[in-house]
Amino acid sequence: MANRKILACLAVTIGLLSASVARADPVKAGFITPSPIADVGWAHQIDLGRQAIEKEFGDKVKTIVVDKVQEGPDAARVMNQMITDGAKFIVLGSFGYFNDGLRAAKQHPEVDFIHASGYKQTANFGTFTARNYEGFYLGGLAAGMVTKSHTIGIVAAFAIPEVVAEVNAIAIAVHKTDPKAQIKIVWINSWFDPPKEQEAARALISQGADVLFSLHQDTPSVVNVAEAEHVRVVNTSSDMSKYGPNAVLASVTNDWTRYFVDSFRAAMDGTFKGVDTRGGLASGMVKVTAWSKDLSAEQKATISQAEADLASSKAHVFAGPLRDQDGKVRAEAGSNLPDQEIFGMNWLVEGLSGSLPK
Amino acid sequence: METLTFVLSGTVIAATPLLIAALGELAAEKSGVLNLSIEGMMSLGAVAAFIVVKNTGDYWLGVFIGGVAAMLLAALFAVIVLFLLGNQVASGLAVGILGGGMAALIGKPYESATVPPMPSFPIPILSHAPVIGRGLFDHVLLVYMAPAIAVLMWWIFKSTKVGLVLRATGESPETTHAIGYNVLVVRFLSVLFGGFMAGIAGAFISIASATLWSDGLIAGRGWIVVALVVFGAWRAERVALGAYLFGAATIGQLLVQSIGVEVPSQLLTSVPYIATIVAIALLSMDGKRIRLNAPVSLGRVYREAH
Repeated sequence: MANRKILACLAVTIGLLSASVARADPVKAGFITPSPIADVGWAHQIDLGRQAIEKEFGDKVKTIVVDKVQEGPDAARVMNQMITDGAKFIVLGSFGYFNDGLRAAKQHPEVDFIHASGYKQTANFGTFTARNYEGFYLGGLAAGMVTKSHTIGIVAAFAIPEVVAEVNAIAIAVHKTDPKAQIKIVWINSWFDPPKEQEAARALISQGADVLFSLHQDTPSVVNVAEAEHVRVVNTSSDMSKYGPNAVLASVTNDWTRYFVDSFRAAMDGTFKGVDTRGGLASGMVKVTAWSKDLSAEQKATISQAEADLASSKAHVFAGPLRDQDGKVRAEAGSNLPDQEIFGMNWLVEGLSGSLPK
Repeated sequence: METLTFVLSGTVIAATPLLIAALGELAAEKSGVLNLSIEGMMSLGAVAAFIVVKNTGDYWLGVFIGGVAAMLLAALFAVIVLFLLGNQVASGLAVGILGGGMAALIGKPYESATVPPMPSFPIPILSHAPVIGRGLFDHVLLVYMAPAIAVLMWWIFKSTKVGLVLRATGESPETTHAIGYNVLVVRFLSVLFGGFMAGIAGAFISIASATLWSDGLIAGRGWIVVALVVFGAWRAERVALGAYLFGAATIGQLLVQSIGVEVPSQLLTSVPYIATIVAIALLSMDGKRIRLNAPVSLGRVYREAH
């Protein structure tokens, strides 16, 4: 009897001890990105979010990062390895990790996931998307202000809804500041092919474009060409002004730091909820930086005003009346295009020529 | 930049790396060795050249080191298939993947870095011509060297003893051996040459055209090169034609999009591939001629008789 009591006490003590030891161990957070982490680009912005978590939580967190992970079996393997290593919070930095991530989340309810650009949520599987179109709207306003040839060129990766919404936002904004402007689009149909992206940029320049948009090129490929050919460029993901000090008109960047830190804190506290988070200018998830010095104070003021209006929801990028290129009304006057239509966009706005790859 | 100037200059810039690498592969295949590691060799050449240029600013040193780096990888491949009698297809794929991985590894600190473009070498008088001046005659030296090498190789294959020995090695290594040539040495040198050329092609992309390094920079061009050699029916002049055609179609489809013609962009994206295949297939329709040109022993393991 006494023996049993002693044993029980011992067991409780060991349990308490190990629990306190476990509490002192840092919580592990994993990050998976599709492209290599460089000085700029999508993966770089994700990594900045990781660094913010490290800075915020110090030795209470240990981060594991694996970049350049292909979608499919590779991604599943990396996730499983992270979970085996004790990760309690995993950031999936590509839409393509969707199926494997969801499966892992189901198998490991104790691990919380956040998934880039996804549309499905479960209790421990949240999604995040940036309203980049708000940033590109501001870039479009500036493009319309500075174009002399009234021709804007867009080098776009793939015609997925996110990118289509950006193209439309650019068109709407450009036509606000330069109603005469023509907008030309080249679809690369690849996420990554720097030489081809550059050829596309040169093709647009040969057609008179003097402001380019680099939509989702992870490297400074288009910025490089713009600098060499003395045209302007608005680029994606990171501030690329160091690659094109004269060329960069603005950079539409993503700032995940606050969202990552908040999500990680929730995961640590056990209050994590698998929700869909969409952030734009208001939440700071989208930031337009590297504004060119060549914009006049007046032009900058116009842009700042537009930014304030978007952030305070006084204005909306896709405000009605909004028609598509066939003249069909997509949003009535006085109403805004609902979110589900923005994030499922497969049509071009009035004033754009060309067709979308279907 | 005028449209026509862009078409011409874009075409030669897109075609040059393909042509340089394809001529190297042509030599290797003519000697009977199918080297499928071009993508990896180009990546390694690209990153090696980029690192040299970033640190020293010496472009020709970069081109040379790029060539040598890829040549070392080619040497590894050659040892595996020639002396260890490895299967050429499997070894080529494996060595290619190794090359891509090594390039990513050593290029890690240079991800997304850029260098100023290699200085161009405008050809006197011609470069001042309207349209074609800037289009064709205001490029880096490698752009002019590529077609010159193609002509040289055409001549070597056709009219020199070196070319004859190389071709004989690819046709019937046993015969070449019987008349006193060392098959393995001929093949080894051919593969090294192929590697060197692939490295230069990669260097061209990283320091002359894209002027940046990023993992995946070559983006499948190594495979286009393999296809060009086959579809060009192992003849230097047709391989060259194919390379320029592919370059022109690539530029053409981007231009058509930028002008705003209503054609689905996926279709346009596939145009270069379709056009090149159709054109070269038409040119090479004569089956007898292809059989005459295809190296008979291509891809076969050669075991030296003692």
